[in-house]
Amino acid sequence: MVSGLRRIGLIAGRELRADARHPDGAVAAMTFMAALVLLESLIVGPQVARDTLVAPALYWIALLFAAIVVTTRSFDRELEDDALDGVLAMPGGADALYGGKLVSLAATLGLVAVVGGVVEMALLDLAVALPGHLALAVVIGTAALPAVVVLDVALTVRLRARAVLVPILALPVLLPQLVAATNAVAAALAGDAVASLAWSGLLVAIALVYATLGLTIAGTAIE
Amino acid sequence: MDDRAVLRSVDLDLVPGITVLRGPNGAGKTTALRALAGLVPLARGTREVPFDVLYIGHRPQLLHGLTPRESLRFFLEFRGPTSRAWATPVKTTAREMREDRIRVACDRWGLAGESDRPIERLSAGQRRRAALARLDLETCALTLLDEPFADLDESGSALLWSWLREARALGVAVLVASHGHADLDAVAVRAYALHEGRVAA
Repeated sequence: MVSGLRRIGLIAGRELRADARHPDGAVAAMTFMAALVLLESLIVGPQVARDTLVAPALYWIALLFAAIVVTTRSFDRELEDDALDGVLAMPGGADALYGGKLVSLAATLGLVAVVGGVVEMALLDLAVALPGHLALAVVIGTAALPAVVVLDVALTVRLRARAVLVPILALPVLLPQLVAATNAVAAALAGDAVASLAWSGLLVAIALVYATLGLTIAGTAIE
Repeated sequence: MDDRAVLRSVDLDLVPGITVLRGPNGAGKTTALRALAGLVPLARGTREVPFDVLYIGHRPQLLHGLTPRESLRFFLEFRGPTSRAWATPVKTTAREMREDRIRVACDRWGLAGESDRPIERLSAGQRRRAALARLDLETCALTLLDEPFADLDESGSALLWSWLREARALGVAVLVASHGHADLDAVAVRAYALHEGRVAA
């Protein structure tokens, strides 16, 4: 009998291997994020954009939409030649699919987050008081995003209105997470180590709750 | 589907050997197989199937970006040791044994030169062969095949016929959905006709 963790690992490995050959999802997400950061900065103006609370907010909003782009592309690939059915028809397929996508998309989003972060810091000439705390907040925040996004995309994968539904479903649920991530990064930029760690800790708690809920219901919901 | 009942009265009793489910386009054959595979929820009725079911649908079910070898490896590792050792008692958990089985399956289904090419670069017939290679690797209590001869050339069809005859000889339970191929009756132990969601034996 193959363990659930092993199956999740197999799905994640399959996904990352396919991504390596066809990085169009990651490239699209990076381009989208960089463009969104640039646009947001131009709209509010550089002075406002450089604010320690505004810059992280712009960043996380852009990363959230980049997460939707890359997750949607991941599931679009599953629909080509009915690859999704191949997994769902196997014992434990639905459960493992969610976990596997979580892991692989968190890794892909990590890359997107780094590129987006570099673009924003260069664009806005941001000063970072606590780079270690900043990195921690970005890692946790990025890893936490797929839990909700993957579930929403999976639930709507065969619906025509998916492009509209996913943001509507994801944004309200992710609001606490976006608030925590924004404040964690803002505190790191401003040099408030205690606040940055506190917000990062809250982010971990929120992420664990969402991931646990997702792992619990995703299999049944997808089936 | 779209609030329309696709299957109305379907009672299938699958036995060891080949069972054929015939019907014209739109009769509900694919929906019936997908329901048996657990991909479609039933509004009414029951579905009693073994835990290990191999479902090969109308489309190859292979992820673009992977090669046939990688896809077969994925399915084999995901399913783990299957319920029936067939042809050769091989331990599927040993890496070398697994890779050897995959290589043999690719060779048998005419994919020796294509097994390391990404799926999206293969022709429809080659993708079908890659999908059918799973038959040699994932031996399950019940195998569901939806229009398995689609996209196959003469040699590919011959390979599939060979597999069907072996399955019949070994008593493997196989349900084949087909709108043609009257020759299937020669290997079938039972046949059902599906028309507008209703079955007649």
